[in-house]
Amino acid sequence: MTFDWSVVSRNAGVLLEGVELTVLLAITTMAISIPGGIALALMRLSNVRALSAASAAFVELFRNLPLILVVYTAYYVMPVATGLNLSPLTTGIVALSLNVSAYNGETFRAGIASIRKGQSEAAYALGMGRWQTMKEIVLPQAVRRVLPVLASTWVSLFKDTSLVSVISVGELAYTSMRIRAQTFRVLEMLTAMAAIYWLLGYPQAKLVDWINRRYGVTE
Amino acid sequence: MDLDFTPVLESGWFLLGGLGLTLALSVLTVACSLVLGGALGLARCYGPDWLRWPIVFYIDSMRAVPVLVVLVWTYFALPIVTGAVLPPFWAALVALTAHISAYVAEIVRAGVTSIRAGQTRAAFALGMSRWRTIRSIVLPQAIVRMLPAFGSILSITIKDTAIAAVIAVPEYMNRSQTVAGQSFHPIEVFAVAMAVYFVILFPVTRVVDMVYVRLAHLGRS
Repeated sequence: MTFDWSVVSRNAGVLLEGVELTVLLAITTMAISIPGGIALALMRLSNVRALSAASAAFVELFRNLPLILVVYTAYYVMPVATGLNLSPLTTGIVALSLNVSAYNGETFRAGIASIRKGQSEAAYALGMGRWQTMKEIVLPQAVRRVLPVLASTWVSLFKDTSLVSVISVGELAYTSMRIRAQTFRVLEMLTAMAAIYWLLGYPQAKLVDWINRRYGVTE
Repeated sequence: MDLDFTPVLESGWFLLGGLGLTLALSVLTVACSLVLGGALGLARCYGPDWLRWPIVFYIDSMRAVPVLVVLVWTYFALPIVTGAVLPPFWAALVALTAHISAYVAEIVRAGVTSIRAGQTRAAFALGMSRWRTIRSIVLPQAIVRMLPAFGSILSITIKDTAIAAVIAVPEYMNRSQTVAGQSFHPIEVFAVAMAVYFVILFPVTRVVDMVYVRLAHLGRS
């Protein structure tokens, strides 16, 4: 059994492009899903029945579906159902954003609900409006409680970007598996893929633990 | 747009078989992960120092690497190292267990450390041995606190088994793709798949919450 690890260094440039796309996917998805999650949380807490029901349905649906199914569905069904012809990359971002927005929606809702009622009652007593109370009293406090959860979601998202490889988005997993298929260096490429994910993910997981210790709320 | 669900119905038994495999893989993975993860978690809390740091390294590494990568590596690369070829189902079981165990170990650790140190001290003061303290004082309270997290482990596992479709485990996701490809009716097939997964997963979280509300008082201290 001979191994040829030079296949990794020879393809370092391509792998780096894969890493870049993985990071880009994660950042873009998070940039969409934070406002998305806040919007879902505010809808959920609003007094308009239809808005709150729609938000609850969205969150429960996407939290209870395997992400890979959402990715496949976005890829095969969305073009037929909506007539939109999106690139695999955009399709992947849509699927990831639907999933992460649902989780973020739940995170923000819990964060807002964790702020004691007395805080908003005091704000109302001072003559603040509903919106102003939310913006200046509740949300700034909720963000601190939400931060550790968002950090964990980020780490999950970073790993979940690997799932869009199944619709041939050229991120790290797809690129590694493509080189594997071209060179037949199965063990070398798959180990390199795992090692690169580990190098990227391990410090993030440690950082999240630190954020949890630093900002986590303990009763 | 006309929806035609006959291809789904015609492949009903085929899909149902896949669903059976999804559930079998999920249940086996959770069972194996509870055993392995429980052992890892307890060894991390109570084990000797030389055992502790490799376990921490293992747990953190599994949390850092995507489950897809673990699945693909176990199926394609592990046979090259060991020489033994695992069928897809068993490769998926090994990979998912390796991954989920790390999360179970974290839950066990969180549960055990959430029991105040005073409890252990009181048990020691009463003359209980270390093992007796863990078994009759700490674990009974800690396990109740771990229950909701184990519920999410079940739901995470069911969702992760869908990723095993990538290494050709003929479970529900994989068979849905087959049917979608052969029938040219992806919308209907994937809509049914979404409904099926939702119907399985939604009650899991709800039932776990309901059970926990009735048991939560047992974990108070």
